[in-house]
Amino acid sequence: MNAWQGFQHGNWQERIDVRNFIQLNYEPYHGDGSFLCSPSNKTSVLWSKCRTLLAEEHAKGGVLSVDPDTVSTITSHRPGYIEKDIEVIVGLQTDTALKRSVIVNSGVRMTEQACEAYGYTLNPRISDTYHNHRITHNSAVFQVYTDEMRLARKVGIITGLPDAYGRGRIIGDYRRVALYGVDRLIAAKQSDYQKLAEQAMIEAVIQSREELALQLKALEELAAMAKSYGFDITQPANTATEAAQWLYFAYLAAIKEQNGAAMSIGRISTFLDIYLARDLKNGIIDESGAQEIIDQLVIKLRLARHLRTPEYNELFAGDPLWVTEAIGGMGEDGRTLVTKSSFRILHTLYNLGPAPEPNLTVLWSTQLPPEFKQFCAQVSIDTSAIQYESDDIMRPIYGDDYAIACCVSAMKLGQQMQFFGARANLAKALLMAINGGRDERSGLQVGPQLAVPPEEYLDYELVRKNYSQVLSWLAGLYVNTLNIIHCMHDKYAYEAAQMALHDSQVERLMAFGVAGLSVAVDSLSAIRYGKVRAIRNESGIATGFDTTGEYPCFGNNDARVDALASELTAEFISELRKHPAYRNAQHTLSVLTITSNVMYGKKTGATPDGRLAGEAFAPGANPMHGRDKKGALAALSSITVISYDHCRDGISYTFSIVPESLGKTAIARRNNLIALLDGYAKRQGHHINVNVFDRKILEDAMAHPEKYPQLTIRVSGYAVNFIKLSPKHQQEVLKRTIYQVI
Amino acid sequence: MKAHYHSIETFGTVDGPGIRYVLFLAGCNLGCTFCHNPDTWVQGKQTISVQEVLADIVKYRTFYDTSGGGITISGGEPLLQADFVAALLAACQGLTINTAIDTAGFVPRKNIDTVLPFVNQVLFSLKSATSSVHQTLTCTGNEAIIANLFYIAEQVPLTLRYVVIPGINDSPEEITELAELVQALPKSIPIDLLPYHSMGRSKWEALGMSYRLAQVPPALPEDIQRVKNILTALGISTL
Repeated sequence: MNAWQGFQHGNWQERIDVRNFIQLNYEPYHGDGSFLCSPSNKTSVLWSKCRTLLAEEHAKGGVLSVDPDTVSTITSHRPGYIEKDIEVIVGLQTDTALKRSVIVNSGVRMTEQACEAYGYTLNPRISDTYHNHRITHNSAVFQVYTDEMRLARKVGIITGLPDAYGRGRIIGDYRRVALYGVDRLIAAKQSDYQKLAEQAMIEAVIQSREELALQLKALEELAAMAKSYGFDITQPANTATEAAQWLYFAYLAAIKEQNGAAMSIGRISTFLDIYLARDLKNGIIDESGAQEIIDQLVIKLRLARHLRTPEYNELFAGDPLWVTEAIGGMGEDGRTLVTKSSFRILHTLYNLGPAPEPNLTVLWSTQLPPEFKQFCAQVSIDTSAIQYESDDIMRPIYGDDYAIACCVSAMKLGQQMQFFGARANLAKALLMAINGGRDERSGLQVGPQLAVPPEEYLDYELVRKNYSQVLSWLAGLYVNTLNIIHCMHDKYAYEAAQMALHDSQVERLMAFGVAGLSVAVDSLSAIRYGKVRAIRNESGIATGFDTTGEYPCFGNNDARVDALASELTAEFISELRKHPAYRNAQHTLSVLTITSNVMYGKKTGATPDGRLAGEAFAPGANPMHGRDKKGALAALSSITVISYDHCRDGISYTFSIVPESLGKTAIARRNNLIALLDGYAKRQGHHINVNVFDRKILEDAMAHPEKYPQLTIRVSGYAVNFIKLSPKHQQEVLKRTIYQVI
Repeated sequence: MKAHYHSIETFGTVDGPGIRYVLFLAGCNLGCTFCHNPDTWVQGKQTISVQEVLADIVKYRTFYDTSGGGITISGGEPLLQADFVAALLAACQGLTINTAIDTAGFVPRKNIDTVLPFVNQVLFSLKSATSSVHQTLTCTGNEAIIANLFYIAEQVPLTLRYVVIPGINDSPEEITELAELVQALPKSIPIDLLPYHSMGRSKWEALGMSYRLAQVPPALPEDIQRVKNILTALGISTL
């Protein structure tokens, strides 16, 4: 059979253009989820085996096993299976499931430490090679770091930097392998490589030629890896199973080559739907078969692992890989990009049970079909496993074939990549403005020398002026630090497999970030509208604050304080843009912490908003725990004051609620959630994590209250913030189901 | 015109249909022993004007409109500040915002007359259908309240709210009494059964007041189901 038989002809046949293929061939779906099938027997048996493995992994402290003797490359390991006969999609990172490999390019000490943490020793020959005969990304960066950069990193004003682990946040367009086959992609890259031969050999051209050579090699290896599993992926996929398999091999090559922090899968469900629809039409599969392909692909994505150190886990808790899949959205022509496979991939949360991976991300638009909205809302309520991002504000910037790297970073698939930059600590920066540029914990002069505010009570104008000076200094240091990191990452840990699945003329984004925004903003508000007395130690460092008077807090839709959040992000991105970024990358900014808000808080002294030293920050752009007193809509409105134009790398808000607080009946809950999402999108909100909690979550909230900033138990005419109840009372609530309590 | 108020909830989902802006007014005269908001009994210093509420609510209209919600004035007892409530709800209706009040009905008739023309629906919270039980749960018997219930039910769509307190107001006799009362109303109305919970207790303690229901357990799903079954058998619908 001709691989493209039955497809609408178009430009996609002449050049690499997956979007054009999708637009000409996909079928928008406006129906509901009643067509969906439960898991096939094969899937059930396979997943049951996997669940046993996952339980063993958990019981062994989070890592099932490690192969410390083989450096992972695209072709390093022989084919691995769980149970070959029932695997519809095959391919593992090593020879057995959940065995973690070592990827050493990003840093050998990290690899050694990670092996040791789980009772293994990195093969001495590998250690010797990377210590003595090869330069790793990590060693290269630290050779070049300035003293100032080391100091900034040490005190935690800029931290979490990808200078000792893979940067990630790059999304290969894995669909290209399915649609075109590897040979065609090699031919295109060859042609780009030859074109460069005609240019003057200046540094940028030489770098591009070298990278294209690496990409070509990666494509050859990708085909070889697939061949070891018995598949010829040099040619386009003929069926839906093959399309999913080809695409997965491409993703597998990426995670075998790179241990990037976030390794998104892209935007695959509507692409695969075209193949599934064709096979369904031709009678090759039935709906159960279609679901089986998606379920089995998702099983493989759920098994993706990287070996990390315990320190890394402190930064990003829960062993995440962010295999983010962008679902739905609208096309530029007004047709929805929702297909039956948008439902199918969400349905894996029922067929396989809820899980954080793949990180299912619905691109929300007010224009989405109502049936799909209802389905999503129900899945959210049942599983808490979906995040939502506004297609309405991203589409005008990124078109209709973008995907999400990590959590909130949009990029055009195959056309843009990102240099990930972790985040700067805005709360600590404010303390520097109060302490003459010194770090409040160590007393070291880290930032510019500034006048220490002389009065006992802090003067807003003076602190704000100092703060601008600190931010200006910080921005320059931050850009330069990232420039070094990414130059060295390109040199010593280049993502050849992923970049082979981008256009050769790629657009680059440099993604800066901030942590502690609401802490900084509330602190400024306290100084401006309340009275803040700095309690200074003998060296004049403010170690505590006595804050009195009433002042507005972020999260209550109060323009006096919300404007500060907008002002700070606008100021910081404009300061960043003053400093040229490596490879002419475009500066972007995120307000996102994931779980690192805890670590950033730990490294930050007491702040004028009343937050104690070491206390966790609120996550992302969230208001500080318990300070949003007017309910969710007021909090959402405060968030939307932060402009996406200033924060093109995303603005993250985590919304947590118990089911009963969403409404009295199942239908009311669903409809209220839809209205919430629609309203947030209309207000230009960017991202929202929806957590609808059950009892287990409440137990977790008792142990880790910082993760649940606004878990509200709402009953008729009464609301209480769960984390504010005494432990004893929380226990009492937990003894009964939520319904009983409400 | 200003009212004493306790707090605002912009995302109210359990006090009337859809997503609602819930304004909790301060001040209540019923003194229920099981109240979970005793901090709303006293009026205090915090006030808000009609204009301030209107300026605030319009910020969230898109959420209320798309969900079929609106505004609910709760409390405290909203009808104790009838002039304010009437002015506010009249203005909301002028903006086509759906209006509701959450009342216990222990107020003079003229207060009801002031507000009712501007109310799309009433959530009427009855503590007990038996006057003696009502007397033990609150500061009064229920005669005046029941008269007001009939009066309001004749004029405006109404939902009866009933907090099920195990061992206090959930005996078959009590519930049968309740059903007979509802059947006697001029229109058929549903009952919204609310399980009693003890989460207000810490507020009583914080206010230095003793909590008389300390020995009463929160209502369990089976308690609610039992009450529901009795009502259903007697032809009363529950939410």
